[in-house]
Amino acid sequence: MDLLTFARGPALQAAFTIFLIGTFWRLLGVLLLRRKLDHSEPRQPALAGAFKGQIAHLWPYQPFASRVMASYLLGYAFHIGLVVVIFFYLPHILFIQDLFGVSWPALPHAVVNAVGGITLMALVALLVKRLMNPVTRLISNFDDYFTWFVTVTPLVTGMLAVAQVGARYETLLALHLLSVALLLIWFPFGKLMHAFFFVAARATTGMIFERRGTHS
Amino acid sequence: MTEETLGECLSRHGISRRSFLKFCTVTASLMALPPGAAAQMAEALARQRRPSVIWLSFQECTGCTESLTRSYAPSLESLIFDFISLDYHHTLSAAAGHQVEAALDKAIADNHGNYLVIVDGSIPLGAKGAYSTVAGVSNVESLKRVAEGAAAVIAVGTCAAYGGLPMAQPNPTGAVGVSELVKDKPVVNVPGCPPIPEVMTGVLAHFLTFGSLPELDVHGRPLAFFGDSIHNRCYRRPFYDQGKFAKRFDDAGARAGWCLYELGCKGPTTYNACATVKWNQGLTFPIQSGHGCIGCSEPNFWDKGSFYKPLSTAESIAGGGMIAATTVGVALGAGAAWISRKRQDDIVGGK
Amino acid sequence: MSGDVSDTTELQPLDLESSRVSVQIPAVRYDQQGEMSDDERIGIAMRNFVKDFGRVAAIYMESCVHCGACAEACHYYVQTGDPRYTPIWKLEPFKQAYKREASPLAPVYRLLNLKSKVTVKQLREWQELIYDSCTMCGRCTMVCPMSIDIATLVGLARHGMFQAGLVPHELWAVAERAKREGSPLGATAQVFEDRVDWMGDEHEVEMHMNEDQADYLVTMSSIEIQKYPESMAAIAKVMNAIDASWTFHSDGYEATNFGMLSGNAEWQKAMTVKIIETAIKVGAKAVILPECGHAYGALRWQGANQYGKPLPFRVMHVSEFLAELVTNGRLKLNQVDRSVTFHDPCQVSRRGGATQAPRVVLKALGVDLREMQDSAEYNWCCGGGGGVVTIHRADALRYKTFEIKMRQVNETGAQMLLSTCANCRQTFDDGQEHFHWDKTMHSLLELVADNIVETEQ
Repeated sequence: MDLLTFARGPALQAAFTIFLIGTFWRLLGVLLLRRKLDHSEPRQPALAGAFKGQIAHLWPYQPFASRVMASYLLGYAFHIGLVVVIFFYLPHILFIQDLFGVSWPALPHAVVNAVGGITLMALVALLVKRLMNPVTRLISNFDDYFTWFVTVTPLVTGMLAVAQVGARYETLLALHLLSVALLLIWFPFGKLMHAFFFVAARATTGMIFERRGTHS
Repeated sequence: MTEETLGECLSRHGISRRSFLKFCTVTASLMALPPGAAAQMAEALARQRRPSVIWLSFQECTGCTESLTRSYAPSLESLIFDFISLDYHHTLSAAAGHQVEAALDKAIADNHGNYLVIVDGSIPLGAKGAYSTVAGVSNVESLKRVAEGAAAVIAVGTCAAYGGLPMAQPNPTGAVGVSELVKDKPVVNVPGCPPIPEVMTGVLAHFLTFGSLPELDVHGRPLAFFGDSIHNRCYRRPFYDQGKFAKRFDDAGARAGWCLYELGCKGPTTYNACATVKWNQGLTFPIQSGHGCIGCSEPNFWDKGSFYKPLSTAESIAGGGMIAATTVGVALGAGAAWISRKRQDDIVGGK
Repeated sequence: MSGDVSDTTELQPLDLESSRVSVQIPAVRYDQQGEMSDDERIGIAMRNFVKDFGRVAAIYMESCVHCGACAEACHYYVQTGDPRYTPIWKLEPFKQAYKREASPLAPVYRLLNLKSKVTVKQLREWQELIYDSCTMCGRCTMVCPMSIDIATLVGLARHGMFQAGLVPHELWAVAERAKREGSPLGATAQVFEDRVDWMGDEHEVEMHMNEDQADYLVTMSSIEIQKYPESMAAIAKVMNAIDASWTFHSDGYEATNFGMLSGNAEWQKAMTVKIIETAIKVGAKAVILPECGHAYGALRWQGANQYGKPLPFRVMHVSEFLAELVTNGRLKLNQVDRSVTFHDPCQVSRRGGATQAPRVVLKALGVDLREMQDSAEYNWCCGGGGGVVTIHRADALRYKTFEIKMRQVNETGAQMLLSTCANCRQTFDDGQEHFHWDKTMHSLLELVADNIVETEQ
């Protein structure tokens, strides 16, 4: 079995298996924990806060803007960039269509390539920031760096495969798929889980503060 | 080797020097040889005495021989057999039985150390080689015996090169390619199902001209023909770059000749000269005829999943397995939460 | 240094004369309580950490991406640039304990030792971060992309720290005194009654003490009782002006909750239940909480949960009460022709939701309200909350953070500085003294009491 066949077959299958096991394990392991009933008299119904919280924390409040805007913009650059690259590059849509039977129009290769470049630059900038800024340098751990690595690797291998630089195409494609497998395997065990938990966290805080008549 | 030179042989067949030069020019350019190589090739070939060639056919379908012999018109490519003294060939031999085997013995004895061996078909190792025998001798034994005195071995077709169809899962005969068995002689793979005739000719011409085998890639193929992917040389490539894809074999995109990537074309991972040399006197090749490349010149191409699934898809992500994984995950999550709750209860309870 | 301050409480005299009240500066610090081995100590801490990891805390622990934004909202980091003051970093041992002991992957973490055990040394080191340099003001939650409620988590982390005897000297001493005497600052029931009488006489206002039945149970913070007793006269004036049925009660008067601030969950509950039971006993329709920040959180939002069921009365911060009175016209106020700026107590505004109440009252007073930059729910903490103001060793750091407040206030150019929290007020008083600042913090309640239109009643 050559590398590409391994990557397309057993590697991805194993990765999806681990991804599903780990994700449900960690999500339910948290969501099924106890939550004490709040007996305090609500100032207003709490539920709307669950939705407001999602929106409110999309963008920094004005008093914080000058201090965190750069990080937010870089964060958005690479998050949106990843969404574009992952979900609007034709071969990826074919991958998804093959698995789930749904598809949508792709963006032109050139656009995806350019977005990939921007995404990569944003990720590199954030890594530099993580290493240079005393706060992020102090609070960063293995998870932060390894998660960065598994996020950036599929992007780099994917772009190399498209450009056919560094190795033969099938090798690059195999490495790309293997790096995706690595990302999927790491996903449930590191901070990538924030992709799910951010909703829960914002909803939780949003409801607590909505109940108190304010916002978070 | 026979005494007659190739030049003499050609003129005996009424081939003009002009058309011979033309052949050499085309061959040299196909192989991306430097300018001047064509003349050198013509001169060398003309002076060359025809080498003795022993052709062994193992587990094969004769497609490779067909490909080489049934060219569209009697051309110089088809005259490959005039370059050489084909002393033994199962399919093409006029003689039969003991006579043929005697010819083989003679060829081995007369040209020991100098003859070329061409192999088509894979070699079965299962059941002590009993799956395929010629004159009571298993293929593996024949190959070992014949290769021992060979100058070089050329594995023609994907079966001889990499095991091909017979080796596809579950490989009932234990088939392998030549290079699995012949380790001490130069082996050139000319894969393809079937291989392109011009490639075959080119390899022979190179050997005869320079006395050596051409430069090979990681899979033992001549780089001159297998150096770039079908995709990179495909005339439909601009459509790929523009994002124009046929979605079905009968849709407007297919009729407009758009890229067949979505229909499973393996062009990007397949290395061969189909897109440049083409087939049938350079008339067409599979993609031009409307079907995606199936990657036939790549090792294990039968076992690389569906010919009709795009390259970027995953293979064998089984729904059942994913449901099982989800179930396991849910169980682990619920278990983890239960353990956590219990630990908390124990602490609150003072345990 | 493993002494036990509980043995030496008599050696922890209160200092009621300074600009902020606490115990006197200890000659020898005992920042560790109880005699136990390190193993026992860490065991207790871990068990209590684990106890607190419900769904909410777990979700927060899981969602942090270490972006570091919280640092940018924290007055300690912003003023010092020291990354240790990054809010989420203050929870590092707590987080470590979560991952290793309570998270869904905890068995894996333990098996492969991916997260090392929390050590006592680490917790001692973190004491300063969990107590001295977090006022639980919650500003970090506002900037957090995940909106992690770090203040609440710090509150939870303090539980384990308290049980393991790792509380700063002064905070432990005042909490212990609160438990023993009913007030952290020596405002025992007797002292309270005496001082209420004194204020009644001094201001010629009718006081109601220990009434059998009353619609309103009025509570006080010991800071007010000891340091700003005029507050008691002020609330009495308001109550009398609207002709309310109200009472102070010596069974439940102390609204501060140092059980909560120090991290003793049992004491917190005991202190809260005292007020609740008193309110039920006198048949109160509402408990009026004093000008105090954490008292509001403790009773308004945590009270019913400590009690285990909904409370049969309303809980109102005095500013909410005043806002209601001026809105429904029961209280008429004179117009005050001054420019005023208002400091929001974090626990009442940002974390309490009663952000508009003081502004309603200020509008009724007709003042020229000049909001500070970053006011209301974005307000900067005074730097004294969360028990920090009691800790002497945190003074230098606290003064550093107070510089933000001075700058904010000065920028408004307002003539008068008001707030609705006695703890903020004493922090301002202390900062004013330290910096020889020309601004003095005043009480909104007292300003209202001084401007009641008497003729209406």
